[in-house]
Amino acid sequence: MKCTECGNVVPVKDFRYLYNARIDSSISIRQCTKCETWLAVDELNGVVTQAVGAGEAPWGKSAGIEGVAAA
Amino acid sequence: MTQAALRDTSVDVFEKNQEWWWAAEKKRSTRLDYLRKAIWKKGAIGGLYAPGVKVDLERAKLHTQKAKEMEASPDPFVMKFAKILAHVLDNKTIFITDQAQLVGYTGSLPHTMAWDPSCASILNEEAYNDPTAIPDPVDENQQVIREICNYWIGKSDLDKMMPVFDMEDLMKMLSGSIGWGVPLARGGYSNKDYEYIMTGKRAFGDIIEELDRKIDEVDAEVHKPGATAETARMYDKLNNWDAMKITLEAGIRIAKRYARLARIIAENFEEDPQRKEELLKIASACEQVPAKPPRTLQESFQYDIFIQMMSRNEAIEGAWPSRPDYYHGPYYDKDVNIDKTLTKEEALDLVGEFLIRAAEVCQFKPKWTREGLQGIDGTWVWTMGGVKKDGSDACNDLTIAFMQAARLVRVANPTFSFRWHPKVSDEVMREIFECIRQGLGYPSMRHDPVLIANSMHWHGHPIEEARTWVHQACLSPCPTTKRGYQPMRMANATANCAKIIEYVFSSGFDHVVNMQVGAETPDVATLTNFEEFFGAWIEQMKTIFSILVRAVNRARMLAPTLTPRPFLSGISERSIESGLDTCEPSLAQGNAWITAFTWVENIDSLAAVKKLVFDEKKYTLAELKEALAKNWEGCEEMRLDFVINAPKWGNDDDYVDDIMLRCLDEAAKFSKVLKCPSGNNWPILPENVSGNIHYANIVGALPNGRRLGDALYDGGVSPGPGLDKNGPTAVLKSCGKIDHITGGRAFLLNQRLSPTQLADEKGYQLWRAYMRTWADLGIDHIQFNMVDDKTLRSAQKDPEKYQEVIVRVAGYSAHFVDISRKTQDNIIQRTVQGLG
Repeated sequence: MKCTECGNVVPVKDFRYLYNARIDSSISIRQCTKCETWLAVDELNGVVTQAVGAGEAPWGKSAGIEGVAAA
Repeated sequence: MTQAALRDTSVDVFEKNQEWWWAAEKKRSTRLDYLRKAIWKKGAIGGLYAPGVKVDLERAKLHTQKAKEMEASPDPFVMKFAKILAHVLDNKTIFITDQAQLVGYTGSLPHTMAWDPSCASILNEEAYNDPTAIPDPVDENQQVIREICNYWIGKSDLDKMMPVFDMEDLMKMLSGSIGWGVPLARGGYSNKDYEYIMTGKRAFGDIIEELDRKIDEVDAEVHKPGATAETARMYDKLNNWDAMKITLEAGIRIAKRYARLARIIAENFEEDPQRKEELLKIASACEQVPAKPPRTLQESFQYDIFIQMMSRNEAIEGAWPSRPDYYHGPYYDKDVNIDKTLTKEEALDLVGEFLIRAAEVCQFKPKWTREGLQGIDGTWVWTMGGVKKDGSDACNDLTIAFMQAARLVRVANPTFSFRWHPKVSDEVMREIFECIRQGLGYPSMRHDPVLIANSMHWHGHPIEEARTWVHQACLSPCPTTKRGYQPMRMANATANCAKIIEYVFSSGFDHVVNMQVGAETPDVATLTNFEEFFGAWIEQMKTIFSILVRAVNRARMLAPTLTPRPFLSGISERSIESGLDTCEPSLAQGNAWITAFTWVENIDSLAAVKKLVFDEKKYTLAELKEALAKNWEGCEEMRLDFVINAPKWGNDDDYVDDIMLRCLDEAAKFSKVLKCPSGNNWPILPENVSGNIHYANIVGALPNGRRLGDALYDGGVSPGPGLDKNGPTAVLKSCGKIDHITGGRAFLLNQRLSPTQLADEKGYQLWRAYMRTWADLGIDHIQFNMVDDKTLRSAQKDPEKYQEVIVRVAGYSAHFVDISRKTQDNIIQRTVQGLG
């Protein structure tokens, strides 16, 4: 998998696993061990979907009516 | 927000935008605004203290200096300890905050955290190793800390306790994998005998007179001709009574020092006549309490603060069990309604200041405590409402004043928990709803009839005593009576329950701490049906609970001699009467419980294994064991199968709900096998504080689809975040299947509601209807977050602008910006339930 920020290419498991705030999604947060950027990773396809900054929500909205209303 | 913008925007606009913190700032009095901003943020941000907050070396130096002086003294330990405490109180620096009407703080200066070096060397090491918390000049003070640390090696409470514990149990517990905390009578959650000390019938002076009578009587008795076993025991009683007296007298002396300071400022330095009068009133209050019972609301609050301050100089207290509307309410009534010496507005200022004084209290704590209680120093969960001893409604005008003051000062600690019962008025319910709607995350709601019955069922408290209950920590009810009150709940009977299911897959070997901790159950791959699998789960559960309970029981037995509490004993009727330390188990009814952190992971994991392995036979246990060992790495489709295609707790699905009931039933049966030193039961109490984050890197992969590193569920019997997909009634129905009287001691339930939906009168009526369903189902607890995604994400992006946003984390609230990103995301991902 390739880090979108620094171009580091290593197997997915070598990106430091941080957490998956939403257990029913295959998107997790990993950290590039080279540039230390937090990355949202599609675990099913082994690709980076975006870098994660403050206030960003790669999992989408919360479950429930607030999410429905905002969608 | 700039001062100009704050000045130019009206309260209405802030409230319309649900920017409650700015509205509160404009609505509160000048005095409250000043006092609220004058306190330092003491709760750790994530696990680290805020810049500028420092370890208080003065207290540690005073304690150590006196301990050294007394090394050669022939005094028994309890007397030495009492004299040390008196020395600290006599010599600690005191201060009065500008505009304050209440005084008293645990540390020597407002930005300091009191550090008691005599509790545990492992705590002292943290003081040494945390340079950000060491006061300037750092190098010089680090040297001072090193000398203090070196002195207490082998002498601290925990060091003295270690050799008399079962070493195998101790190592498992201190590994940090299954428990949380240490078994010490001077480190945990300390209730008080409020029925003795806080009902206006007596104060320290009266107790000292009673002690003198006791001492004279027994002294005469032991010197009569003759000798028995009882006379031999009387010497210990005399020592204990003397020690109690020493600490109570020291308590009166420090109050008089505050009185003198207030008078000196008033008479020599203060030029503002109004402030001068206030200072003289402070002096008068401190001359009255704690020596004599309070006469006014101000004195009643002051008395409470002094008791808390003294108790927190005696021990590290991580909670603040309290029922302030009940015990201070009569003084409010007298001052505001009868004598009319206070206006409602003046009283509201005092109530708000009382909250602020409590919010600033802090004692230096180890990092694992800070991580588990992110954003706060301890769980100051104050109990409101409820019934009186005769069963009538205990709510009063002060109940309402506390709700109103909370919305003005918006502190995250203390928080309130409200004892709901069918006689609570609509006026009070509206005040509660307003606090929740304005995003405080509190009060949490407790079902009083259920919890009174629960106290009687589990611990046999008589009904009149059970009705006095307060929150001993976040959730557990405990009476405030002579025999019913619990002097110290030791936090290490806190089970990291996710390890139960994890150990089924590792035969009890903990791969995180690399040691055998659980039971050596058979290789999971050899188990052929669900009943065998569940049998292994029961064995792991019993093993973990037993390790923790054995340690607490041992510590509790040893506490009266190794870690006595002369001050706490001095305000406890049972100790005054008996001459025994208040931790003496034979004096207590027993009110123990096992806090069950990370409980629901077991239920969802067991359901997933039952369905996918045994019912549908899609996977073998060997395959699952291998996937978990790899932390699901390379098994994403299989992991999602275990998350999405297995029933989840909180959806009114009997398949998984029945598993919850079976697990609770097994735990309840074992709770009656486990006994505390008072001979009473050890029921479980599922809740988490922020242990779900602390344990994220300690609990391995689980069959519910969780990986090592992921936050655990938010706790109690709350469904996994985002996994409760069938709406709020389904959540309540699942929880309502539990018998909240006999199933366990209490069950935390987090719910997230939409602030948009509940914005007006219709919103209140929706909430009331929801609460009626909650009450009808006999659920003992529920608490709410009512802050939307947009606000929380904005706070992540621009924390400076959202410093005052409060969220309910678990059994407590915290400012959103003070909790870690992982905890923040965990809260945001909770399902927002629509009502109606």
